[in-house]
Amino acid sequence: MASPPTTPPTPPLAGRKILIADDDRLNVRILGGILRGEGFVLADAGSGEQAIEVYTTFLPDLVLLDVTMPGIDGFETCRRLRASYGNQCAPVVFITARNESDDVVEGLVAGAVDYLPKPFKPKEVLARIRTHLHNRILSEQQKLLVDQLSKANQAKNKFLGMAAHDLRNPLASIRGIAEFLREGALGPLNADQLDLVETIHGASTSMLDMVNELLDVATIESGELKINRSPHDLAELVSRAVGLINREAGKKGTHIVFEHPPGPVIAPIDPAKMKQVIDNLLTNGVKYSPPGSTITATVGTDPATGRATLAVRDQGPGIPDNERDKLFKDFSRLSSQPTGGEKSTGLGLAICRKIVDAHQGTIGAQNLPQGGCEFRVTLPALQ
Amino acid sequence: MSFPGKILLVDDEAHIRKFVSLILRQISQPVIVEAGNGEDALKTYQAEKPELVLLDVNMPRMDGMETLRRLKEIDPDCVVVMLTSLANRESVERALELGAANYIRKDTPKDEIAKALTDIFAEPGTDEAPPSTP
Repeated sequence: MASPPTTPPTPPLAGRKILIADDDRLNVRILGGILRGEGFVLADAGSGEQAIEVYTTFLPDLVLLDVTMPGIDGFETCRRLRASYGNQCAPVVFITARNESDDVVEGLVAGAVDYLPKPFKPKEVLARIRTHLHNRILSEQQKLLVDQLSKANQAKNKFLGMAAHDLRNPLASIRGIAEFLREGALGPLNADQLDLVETIHGASTSMLDMVNELLDVATIESGELKINRSPHDLAELVSRAVGLINREAGKKGTHIVFEHPPGPVIAPIDPAKMKQVIDNLLTNGVKYSPPGSTITATVGTDPATGRATLAVRDQGPGIPDNERDKLFKDFSRLSSQPTGGEKSTGLGLAICRKIVDAHQGTIGAQNLPQGGCEFRVTLPALQ
Repeated sequence: MSFPGKILLVDDEAHIRKFVSLILRQISQPVIVEAGNGEDALKTYQAEKPELVLLDVNMPRMDGMETLRRLKEIDPDCVVVMLTSLANRESVERALELGAANYIRKDTPKDEIAKALTDIFAEPGTDEAPPSTP
């Protein structure tokens, strides 16, 4: 992977290339005298056509362009340069004898960044040129940084995806084979052996979960998260998840209570993806509440907006104010720890937010006055 | 199809072959022959004439798709169930178009794999040759 890009210091302006296009040789000489003293590298042209020709080989960092020249005028020269080089085009500064606003406006419309009125005042000329060269350099650096960052990000996602894919299969085999041993399919195990096999099973299961979350992030970040929304019963999805997760929660003496109105709560959702959100919020509630807690999951429809909501209330420590903005970000584990030795990748809520965003819904968390925290997902109304 | 007596299990990863063999032995008592790559799979198919081929999608060199295509050339009636790791809809769809009978996810818990295989074995009708397209 590329090393993280760093912001280079702004390089000195000496050595930067300036093209002066003016049919008046005296102007070229005066400007040349001012600029050469500052260490700029100069080239000149006596007409617009010649300026365009010199530009292609000289590739200047800035162009000084006289408005009135034989052949095509300065405005047209500027337009042609902009048309050929687009955003990469060096900044163009007009030289104008008549300090008339019409000229200035036409020049700026043609794509120039500034103008220099004649007669020249050396300090003003240098100050303006320095400013535009600085801007040019900064925008070049910015473009380079953005390129580097987006390449590094792509490489990261590719690496994440590959690593996760390649880790998945062997982990699934380890877990599966441990299941065979645990069930005594290959002969009975004594208590110590069973304990070891349970450890192998537990460790491979949590590694698989972690790898799956990494894969989710890689998929989402590479823009491959596809949501197929159709009307589904949110209450049924939650009910099924509560049933399954209560089995695990029971080991901590924790219980999830499910509250819902009679009848279905229909919302436009991708059931497989929404199941991930539901599972995550429920297991988080169990994970971060002390053993023996009661977690409440509530599903309903807001009668005013027709939007379906899911709220999960836990009895954990709540979210410290100074950590609130980290909550739904990648790899952001907060100070609170799972209460039963469970694992956390710090990715679960980030994935939830991305899935809910893709559903055009909202997700938020709020500390409750009586203690604990409420996570609330609101989904768009049916069309 | 009814429970197959002989199964060819093709996967480049030995641990997957071991894992899936354990599951197959738990469901029924088939003869299992294994191949670790596509070329071997074609040779073993011709030598052993299994009733079912379980075929990994992702393999180096000759991948599952190419192996499937060649198997169908050798024997248009051969029954192939693809082994996939992530529900990669695109490759599954392509495999079904190429004549695969079904697919199972090998990265799911063993009971799910066992159930998927039992369902496939219990499915009526697939043991007859697929209708030839006019």
